Amino acid sequence: MNGELKLLFAGAMGAGKTTAIRAISEIPPISTEASNSDHAECPKDETTVAMDYGEITLATGEKLRLYGAPGQPRFQFMWPILAAGALGAVVLIDNSRPDPLGDLELYVDAFRALAEAGAAVVGVGRMDSFPQPTLEAYVERLATLDVVVPVMPADVRRRDDVLGILETLLLQIEATWAYDEAMGGTGDPVHQSSRVAP
Amino acid sequence: MSTRVMPQELVAAFDDEIRRLHARVAGVIGCVLATTDGRRVSAVVDNEADPQRVAAMVGSIVALGETIGREVMIGRTQFVAVSAVGGMVLLQRVPARRDLLVVGTLARRNTNLGILLHETGIAAEAAGRILDEWLGRDQPPA
Repeated sequence: MNGELKLLFAGAMGAGKTTAIRAISEIPPISTEASNSDHAECPKDETTVAMDYGEITLATGEKLRLYGAPGQPRFQFMWPILAAGALGAVVLIDNSRPDPLGDLELYVDAFRALAEAGAAVVGVGRMDSFPQPTLEAYVERLATLDVVVPVMPADVRRRDDVLGILETLLLQIEATWAYDEAMGGTGDPVHQSSRVAP
Repeated sequence: MSTRVMPQELVAAFDDEIRRLHARVAGVIGCVLATTDGRRVSAVVDNEADPQRVAAMVGSIVALGETIGREVMIGRTQFVAVSAVGGMVLLQRVPARRDLLVVGTLARRNTNLGILLHETGIAAEAAGRILDEWLGRDQPPA
């Protein structure tokens, strides 16, 4: 991997996608927030309606372009647009929501090409206050979806937590690529799939 | 304001404005009023387009257009236009005390762009006045 890499942050409204990108971006992040008219869904005042964007340069010199997707299912039309060309996805889950495992299914299914290729990581927030479901429950639910990706707790307000998620994601992608190459593939299993345009 | 608790009289007033816009411009085949976060408030659409999906897109595109305007420092975005082979879409924010609504107008290709801009603007201002009047009253608990 070298040059510029595109990564996507996905997850339900209020899961922390905008916060995560703001926590690590080395440029002033671009956001498209609007007044939240649905406080029954989430008590936030504002919500992302198109995308977030930030950048961070790794110690290796690679620049990560970070895109955040709006979380509400009505913005599903934006998801494939933002996922096009992405090398990997961070799926953020808010454990305080009514059905976090259902959220997991929704977003893993929406970005299935990346998840099946092992180019995804799941970060679970608010586990201190809401310990259920456990990380094991997430791993088990992912197994029922035929997806094996790292699941880790995360407080996306903390820069180190977000960097830890990205580091895990990049390690996961590199390991997946190495395995694919060893098995005679191109070393880029994500973009062999037609479901994510290069 | 949550659209889940938006009073019927407010929605009815918006419906009237959207219907008037749809009726008074030849070539207009759809009008959608949406919250800035993409929820449908009122819509008249003649073709098969799904008004809720369109409402979500109107919210996203207006936000993106305004973000681009800020990024390239060209001042406040007045409207966003989509020109396609078979027609055009104009999108703009509803001017009001609070940035809560956006309006989108779908028109056939041969529609006069100037008239479409003017009439969409008039409808947006009317919706803004309706919203401001409502915001000025004692609001029911959300």
